[in-house]
Amino acid sequence: MASSSSSSKTGLKKMLTLKSSDGDEFELEESIVIQCQTIKHMVEDGFSLIPLQNVDTKTLTKIIEYMKKHAEKTESNKEEIKNFNKEFVKGSFDDQFELVSAANYLHINGLMDLLCQSIADRINNKSVRAVREIFNISNDYTPDEEEKVRDEHKWAHEGGEFDESLD
Amino acid sequence: MGANASSISDDGLNYVSLKPKLDDIPEACVALVLSYLDPIEICKLARINRAFRAASSADFIWETKLSSNYKYILQELLGLKVAGLDKKDLFAKLSRPRPFDGGTKEVWIDKNNGGVCLAISSKGMAITGIDDRRYWNHIPTDESRFQTVAYLQQIWWLEVDGDLEFQFPEGTYSLFFRLQLGKPAKRLIRRACNYEHVHGWDLKPVQFQLTTPDGCRVTSRCYLDNVGIWVQHHVGDFVVRDDTVPTKIKFSLTQIDCTHTKGGLCVDSVLICPISLAKQLSSC
Repeated sequence: MASSSSSSKTGLKKMLTLKSSDGDEFELEESIVIQCQTIKHMVEDGFSLIPLQNVDTKTLTKIIEYMKKHAEKTESNKEEIKNFNKEFVKGSFDDQFELVSAANYLHINGLMDLLCQSIADRINNKSVRAVREIFNISNDYTPDEEEKVRDEHKWAHEGGEFDESLD
Repeated sequence: MGANASSISDDGLNYVSLKPKLDDIPEACVALVLSYLDPIEICKLARINRAFRAASSADFIWETKLSSNYKYILQELLGLKVAGLDKKDLFAKLSRPRPFDGGTKEVWIDKNNGGVCLAISSKGMAITGIDDRRYWNHIPTDESRFQTVAYLQQIWWLEVDGDLEFQFPEGTYSLFFRLQLGKPAKRLIRRACNYEHVHGWDLKPVQFQLTTPDGCRVTSRCYLDNVGIWVQHHVGDFVVRDDTVPTKIKFSLTQIDCTHTKGGLCVDSVLICPISLAKQLSSC
């Protein structure tokens, strides 16, 4: 924090370099990058080259796009940000999972909320089988356990058809 | 791949472990995704696998789904133990209608949106002339959630009054009278209705009244005309602004024009629910 406040006082924009897992480097203003808690802590520890070995170039590009836009956030452009967010979450589930894993690792809370809300909206009403397919998860329950889980939630499951589609 | 173990240690960073993505999004993310879903959806997704089940039980997910007055309902009203139970279990407990006040009232929370709903049986209301069998009778029927309704054979002065003191969560609530013209009767296993006493409702409307917590009176009038069908008659709405104190409301159904008799009316119950749920119900 100390370094960021002193740099803003002197009017100098402190730059940081982010390095993706593919080895690509991105130079950004510190004020943009510190939306990300993980990087903020590293900046406080004196780092200026930040390797992100969990984030590939494609995902990092998207995340930088998000951080740049949200760094411009003011009282007057709420609508613009809202539209940006709407566009931002369009894409395949695979893209979203890449992004959500990265956002979780980087601790960008706003982006986490945005992505999780979007995934939730998209799996709403889906069948258990469809969600397993989408998340590429195998069922690790034994038949007995599955029965037990079903019983536990009997109160919630009455009627209702779920959507089997995968998009 | 530019990143490997040695470059991590060169930079002094050692808290990262490379995780496979897609098929293994972190449990924290799963829990956050679930928190945006409705209770029924969350329970469904618990069936996916063990990780989802673990994530779906997190208290932080259910805390937001539970109504703010859950302790009041479970502990003070129903005398149930709350301590030591998961928020999810509390939600499950509350989602089933629970009788109180000697079984004359029920309370539950809606499984979809967590809103608090209440029903008050005809036996929990003051009905003028209820002890006179020439006018009124309590009759058993499985068409009522309380398994009993008050049946009016014939009367000059129709007056049904009720009141309620309950610690509602903040919000706007709607109140309904559930009524039917005609007496429920069962022929073998089929639903049937006896219309023999139905008369007098086309001459003058009945009057519904609701006295809201701030002392305002909402009055509506309506001709009863749907014979043989249970109708939820919308009486009015009230707003709760403070969920820490009991809210008091009064409601009534009257038809006190003594120039004619009326009869053949079943009074089942009064229903109170959040206005968002009320839209699904038909109104007067």
